[in-house]
Amino acid sequence: MVKNKKRPVYLNLFKIRLPVGGILSILHRATGAFLVVLLPIALYILQRSLHDPEAYARIATQAATPVGRVVVLVIVWVFAQHFFSGVRHLLLDIGIGDSKPVARRNAWLAFAASLAVVALIGVCL
Amino acid sequence: MSRLRSAGSAHAGVAEWLLQRVTSLYMGGFVIYAIVHFSLLPIHGYAAWKAWFATGYVRIAWALFLASILIHAWVGMRSIYLDYLHPLWLRFSVTLLTALGLLALALWAARILLA
Repeated sequence: MVKNKKRPVYLNLFKIRLPVGGILSILHRATGAFLVVLLPIALYILQRSLHDPEAYARIATQAATPVGRVVVLVIVWVFAQHFFSGVRHLLLDIGIGDSKPVARRNAWLAFAASLAVVALIGVCL
Repeated sequence: MSRLRSAGSAHAGVAEWLLQRVTSLYMGGFVIYAIVHFSLLPIHGYAAWKAWFATGYVRIAWALFLASILIHAWVGMRSIYLDYLHPLWLRFSVTLLTALGLLALALWAARILLA
């Protein structure tokens, strides 16, 4: 293979414009990894909440404080984002949205849907 | 050339692919069921929460949910490592640590479910 010495090497990550589907794909991995890191904490909260009424009440009060609400909403956003980019993945598997314009529209929809879920939960809780 | 040799056989990965889809469908179904259930019948207080969790089918659904999470986490993290961790020793040790961590979480989850 002849190496083209003049080929452009242009890997400035701030200058490369990733299409929306690419951003969504990276976010699917980032949110997934983040959720895995949260797993031990989630299991701990599940265990405590089932253990005794005092522990349950403490979790409920902490989740209702301003800081607790922000933490809950961030986790809801991470989960919803992973959920909706995952749904887009599953739809791609069965051939829905694999043309470029539809794939891009669905990527935007995945972002919109997760933000809508955060807004809805934020209003309801 | 070394890249080609490590590519493995053509059918390897089908099981992971399928597991990732099956577990995602189950988890999605479980989460939607839980959201609808709690919206229609909000749980007030520890006693109701504990009683709901103690119901036979709920506990089985939780067991499948937690197992799905751990399998999904394993397949997902492994595919991230395969893409980004190139030194073999690093990929091997991080994969091993993840496996042990998820196994520990599985045992812990079993303890919660059987309590």
